[in-house]
Amino acid sequence: MTQLTAVSGGGTQPIVSLSDVTKTYTLGKVQVPALRGVTLDVFPGEFISIAGPSGSGKTTALNLVGCVDTATAGVVRVDGQDTKQLSERQLTNLRLHTIGFIFQSFNLVSVLSVFQNVEFPLLLQRKLNAKERSQRVMTLLEQVGLEKHAKHRPNELSGGQRQRVAVARALVTRPKLVLADEPTANLDSVTGQNIIDLMKELNRKEGTTFIFSTHDAKVMNHANAVVRLADGKILDRITPAEAQRAMAVGAEGH
Amino acid sequence: MSQLKLLLQVALRNLFVSKINILIGGIIFFGTVLVVVGGAFVDSMDEAMSRSIIGSVAGHLQVYSEKSKDELALFGQMGGEPDLSAVDDFSRIKDLVLEHPNVKTVVPMGTSGALITSGNTVDLTLARLRDLYKKAAQGETPELRAQIQSLQAHVRQMLALLDEDLKRRSEIVDDKANDPADVEALTRARSDAFWADFDKDPFGSLEFLENRIAQQVTDGDMVYLRYTGTDLVNFQNTFDRMRIVQGAPVPEGRRGMLLSQFFYDEAFKLKSALRLDHIKEERDLNHKTIADDPKLGRWVKENQTQTREILFQLDPIKTKQAVERLQRILGSQETELGKLLPLFFAMDDANFDTRFQQFYAELAPLLDLYRIRVGDDLTITAFTRTGYVQSVNVKIYGTYKFDGLEKSALAGSLNLMDLMTFRELYGYLTAEKKAELAKLQEASGVTAVKREDAEAALFGEEGSASLVANATPGLIDEDAQLDGFAQKLRREELASRVYTQEEIEKGVVLSAALMLKDPEQLEQTMAELQATAKAKGLPLRVISWQKASGLIGQFVLVAKLVLYFAVFIIFVVALVIINNAMMMATLQRVREVGTLRAIGAQRSFVLSMVLVETVVLGLVFGTIGAVVGGAIMRVLGHVGIPAGNEALYFFFSGPRLFPSLHVSNLVEAFVIVLVVSALSTFYPAFLATRVSPLQAMQTDE
Repeated sequence: MTQLTAVSGGGTQPIVSLSDVTKTYTLGKVQVPALRGVTLDVFPGEFISIAGPSGSGKTTALNLVGCVDTATAGVVRVDGQDTKQLSERQLTNLRLHTIGFIFQSFNLVSVLSVFQNVEFPLLLQRKLNAKERSQRVMTLLEQVGLEKHAKHRPNELSGGQRQRVAVARALVTRPKLVLADEPTANLDSVTGQNIIDLMKELNRKEGTTFIFSTHDAKVMNHANAVVRLADGKILDRITPAEAQRAMAVGAEGH
Repeated sequence: MSQLKLLLQVALRNLFVSKINILIGGIIFFGTVLVVVGGAFVDSMDEAMSRSIIGSVAGHLQVYSEKSKDELALFGQMGGEPDLSAVDDFSRIKDLVLEHPNVKTVVPMGTSGALITSGNTVDLTLARLRDLYKKAAQGETPELRAQIQSLQAHVRQMLALLDEDLKRRSEIVDDKANDPADVEALTRARSDAFWADFDKDPFGSLEFLENRIAQQVTDGDMVYLRYTGTDLVNFQNTFDRMRIVQGAPVPEGRRGMLLSQFFYDEAFKLKSALRLDHIKEERDLNHKTIADDPKLGRWVKENQTQTREILFQLDPIKTKQAVERLQRILGSQETELGKLLPLFFAMDDANFDTRFQQFYAELAPLLDLYRIRVGDDLTITAFTRTGYVQSVNVKIYGTYKFDGLEKSALAGSLNLMDLMTFRELYGYLTAEKKAELAKLQEASGVTAVKREDAEAALFGEEGSASLVANATPGLIDEDAQLDGFAQKLRREELASRVYTQEEIEKGVVLSAALMLKDPEQLEQTMAELQATAKAKGLPLRVISWQKASGLIGQFVLVAKLVLYFAVFIIFVVALVIINNAMMMATLQRVREVGTLRAIGAQRSFVLSMVLVETVVLGLVFGTIGAVVGGAIMRVLGHVGIPAGNEALYFFFSGPRLFPSLHVSNLVEAFVIVLVVSALSTFYPAFLATRVSPLQAMQTDE
């Protein structure tokens, strides 16, 4: 087990902390291990990429962090809370108030407008009144450059625009943590680049912690750390440059 | 608030996006239309039938003696008349019930039945001949003589026809088929010698014909006559459904009878004419054809073969007229009426309407269409309460019908008579008769004990009502006590006697019909009346019109049950389809639901989302359905639904039903729609709450 510490923001409490986490799926009678003892701390303000080939456990790790799945063994702490100790309701609340999600295939509600999609988490939160919500949503839409499309339906937008709506939706509640599972996989490289730039910008401005999975080296470049996974274990935690080199070596090896 | 707004927004947007929602909406729409239209239809039918039954004879409530063994059944029941205990004095019921503020009117009633014979043609002709001879005995005129001769010729023609029948029968079967005594009697009756001597002893000759010949002709039917004795004037004022068809109402205070037109036709109408009427009705109303419907075909055949009744009715002069008319109609040279009639009655769908019209225009004027005519006396022989036979002559003043029930064999065959005649048939004694009887009893030292009460009398148990005990056996056959002339006088006196209202009301009845001021309070009034009656020492059973009308009332119930069953089936089918469709819709939206769950929606939110969606779906399409259903009912209420066949005629209480729409129909439909949609969404909604947020992570589109 390699103990990995954060590059920046050391000294504060980690927002996410996995310690010796195991996750095993049961497919019929076969036990399929997805994570085999992962220990990882992520500190506030980090912009971390989880990299690794398909089946290495990236998505599983993100699901555990996102409180949509529970670990078979080990402890998952999000914002200081042991997710195993929380009820289904409490987990949902944790997701609502602390975590923002960006999905690979955008997952917008097709019958709602751009504005309504972004507003949705705020309505679930029931913290703000209509005016405040509207302001918040419009600010975010401006940030993602879609203020003119507020009344459009998702199917009237391009893939990149849709993902920007999703980013806005993930950030509208001002979460401490944003999780993105392959946010650029369904986008062409230029658009994907834009999305990552946008995320990075928000990370810088708002100090929001981002954890995203990708297997695209260009996307990894923007991270301030790359956690490499293979076969359900963490290989190492390296800088993007190191990751580039490692990938180049890996490619030569083939 | 804003969450609900969002839910509604999602629901409304989803409404027209998802094809499955359109399907569910369609089902809800049709379901609502059906429930609105069907509900309004049956309610209207129920209302129409209730109105006809209440307005015909039942009233809103019926009261009868608490001591009765059976339940009151105005329109009859399986296995004969119900055994009701009589109430001695109607005026007591009247005083008691009229005290109740909700009772508008009360009509006395008593229903019973008797077997009567509709009479055979020979008998009827002989009776007419006898009347003529009676008149002749008081002074013969040439006119009378001519009539006698005409009738004699008629009788001789009948005898010839009968002779033919006998000969044919012995040809077809063999000689033994005929009773030698019958053959001998007929031979004697046909001989010229018999007719030459006829005038020497007209009554003796008539008696011979009546006893030995008339019984050989078997065209008279035994008919069960159901009658309700009532205060006829009061009855007609109270029951707005009653209409005089022929003749006139029985004058106030008089004895007399009104036959139901249905019964009059079925029992007394010339069978050939009745069959033509039936065929016409089936063709016009039920759109049947002689060619395709075996029943109609059979009637046509029966009309061709059973011409005897017509042949018997016509005297030689009329026979000649009939032959001439038929020859003209048929363009035939045939001179025998017995052969012309089958030709005329050979009807098919092409010539039926013409022939039907020709029958009534050309033949009917020569015939007696009814065996008993309005104005005739009908002899009713009934068993009294104590089991003795009582025979009463009553004048038929006319025929009537109950609007809407005129085609119902059950309700349409109730005949109305005055209370006095009813009481006499029932075995009730008038004041004079009682006094006379008391004298007789005193003289003989006999105590009359009713058979049912014999036990009580012997063992000292308290006896029941005084009424039937008074109806002493033996006093019934008044004819025996009075010789011929006095009897005739008495009959005339009875027929012309005018009874006072007090006489009508102070006497026995079996039940009474009550009309209420506010029918809505029927149940309450029932209970109150029952309590008052008990308190006043006149224990009465009070029942609703529905119960009193027995089978007929149950028809309404059955019709309602059938509809409710249909609604239930629709309900279940809709439930299953909507349930399945919602399941599909939910499964299609697993990723969406998963996403919502992932970004922080609680299970309860998902649950209400699905529920609100179905409710909105139900409301939107339910409203459209209700509007369309309402529009359909409005149109139907204006145009009316024609009663396509006889059965419907009864249910519609007339030839056309004009259904009306009540708010309750709409409310009912709405409630049903909402319940169905809520129930059918329950499981899919539950499934939706079980969708894991993990589903959002699935990448495949």
